[in-house]
Amino acid sequence: MMKIGVMSFAHMHAYSYAACLNDLPKATLPAVWDDDPKRGKAAAKRFDAAYFSDLHRFLYSGLDGVIVCSENVKHRKMVEAAAKAGLWILCEKPLAVTVADARAMIAACKKAGVGLGTAFPCRFAPTLIEVHDRVRAGELGEIYAASCTNNGKFPGGWFADEKQAGGGATMDHTVHVADALRWITGKEFVKVYCEKGRLLGRDTNSDDVGSVHMEMDGGTIVSHVASWNRAKSFPTWGDVTIELIGEKGVLHVDAFSQKLDVYCDKTMRHEWASWGGNADMGLVRDFVEAVRARHAPSVTGEDGLRAVEVTEAAYRSAETGKMVSVRA
Amino acid sequence: MNVAIVGCGAMGQLHAQMASNCGLRIAVCADAVKARASALAKIHGAVAVADIDAALARKDVDIVALTSPTPTHAKLIVAAAKAGKAIFCEKPITRTVAEGRTALTAVQKAGVPLFVGHVVRYFQEFEALRLQAQSGVIGHVGFIKTFRGGMCPVGSAGWFRDFAKSGGAVLDLLIHDFDWIRYAFGDIERVFCQNLMRERPTIMDYAMVTLTLKSGVIAQTIGSWAHPEGFRVKAELCGTDGMLTYDSAEAPIAVMPRQHGKKSPNTIVPSSPVDKSPYQLEWEDFIAHIGGHAPARVTPEDALAALHIAECALKSAKTGAPVTV
Repeated sequence: MMKIGVMSFAHMHAYSYAACLNDLPKATLPAVWDDDPKRGKAAAKRFDAAYFSDLHRFLYSGLDGVIVCSENVKHRKMVEAAAKAGLWILCEKPLAVTVADARAMIAACKKAGVGLGTAFPCRFAPTLIEVHDRVRAGELGEIYAASCTNNGKFPGGWFADEKQAGGGATMDHTVHVADALRWITGKEFVKVYCEKGRLLGRDTNSDDVGSVHMEMDGGTIVSHVASWNRAKSFPTWGDVTIELIGEKGVLHVDAFSQKLDVYCDKTMRHEWASWGGNADMGLVRDFVEAVRARHAPSVTGEDGLRAVEVTEAAYRSAETGKMVSVRA
Repeated sequence: MNVAIVGCGAMGQLHAQMASNCGLRIAVCADAVKARASALAKIHGAVAVADIDAALARKDVDIVALTSPTPTHAKLIVAAAKAGKAIFCEKPITRTVAEGRTALTAVQKAGVPLFVGHVVRYFQEFEALRLQAQSGVIGHVGFIKTFRGGMCPVGSAGWFRDFAKSGGAVLDLLIHDFDWIRYAFGDIERVFCQNLMRERPTIMDYAMVTLTLKSGVIAQTIGSWAHPEGFRVKAELCGTDGMLTYDSAEAPIAVMPRQHGKKSPNTIVPSSPVDKSPYQLEWEDFIAHIGGHAPARVTPEDALAALHIAECALKSAKTGAPVTV
């Protein structure tokens, strides 16, 4: 039985990961740490775990691994502390707010001899797994272009503060697609151009929409919308879509569109009810297995770093008004 | 009024019908390929000619409809203007901005009306988007996303697939969205563009463009000549208080012809009929303009501005840098 703790419930994905831990037969969630006691105690109660306010006591409470879901800017400190305690780590995306932080985290885990994974659940979505497999089997031939979106509703809270999130919608909603494209095509990003702004009146001190253009090695061209552009009244949280233009054909995927339309008079709302695969469960199961086998999770810290390189380049591009190299 | 159709391909056939619907008489059908001219002339009881210069000079012609390949537009506009004809020209106005300026000078000098067919301004769905946005229902619009595309068109002697002639998806297809975005949301400050323009092993183009408007609004427009079949248009406007979305795939009619004895997959052909074709609406607007009424919804300067944005996009695609419009 692998004992996995959750470090901070600042990111809402922590609740889904915690539920997965409780559902997995080979894992338990014995301990929760949070620097917000109220939030931490409530989460501990909900998932039947012990709450720790002291980080050291939490890290040395007999855990095998931790899932880090703090505010983005705290990822580095959390990961470094957990690595020092010899724990396997799954870190929420983006891995870090800067390339320098991401590199330091990877180095710390390497030094401590612990596995570091980045939480990219898209890699465990059955829809995107099929896209990956069909592209890798050569069904589309060479991929020439990709047009993507990761739209969402405005998350508010610390996401709206670039001091805690490291950026805005472009920071929040570029990494999933960047990682998915690397995984699907096997190519790396080389150049990035970005136009972004606070254009939708969201209550943030950063951008609420970014239009990102990228180039991958071999010349594949990519466009992407990273946004908090979904209306509050939109029937779902957002989307991940990718259109691939290949030599042998075109593929369009709307990764989370396996849904029912729910029209409810009690709430006067129209919402989507998902019936598709549970990508979070795949992600957490993979992590638990990595902890047990003492090897790195399938989606590594390096994968997280590659995506952070893209977001950092996007912000650098927006600042300079130029297309910039990913490896500065 | 009598119309000469110059270029009797698909667009020539469409515009001949629209002009005819408006009560105009199709007097002459001109095409370098005489058989094409004759086929269209037969439908409309017109004279078929292969000599285009002669068609432009005919005294019984009041309006010249230029529905020939883009690179021919500049010379034909100048010739038609010199002959004193009112001119309807399919978009883009010309292949290059430099040509467009020369053509406009000739038109102004001759004092003839010129209308360029940026028909998206007349499409009911796009006009509805514009009016809804203007009504304030979604608050202030800050982001626009559009998609327009399908198969790579062929055209007479394959001219669409000669990207030097057609300008590819940016100059022939996305120019619609450039024009409409500028019409609905104002002037463009900056353009960034990536495109394919592949010739081997398959001819295709796919263009991804970000427009940054003077107002700060960002628009991302995708244009495809890379799809194996079909044609689809999508538009999404995001505002401070909501969103507007349109998708042509949600058409009210879907026709599925049964393929007999063929292995090819069945294709769903969507149809979305309206009271009046947007192409007829643009002809009505043009005719009213000729009659001395207010300027048409699309002015020649608008057409030149849209072409300029497309040219900036192509420059950006070539240099990998944003281009200030």
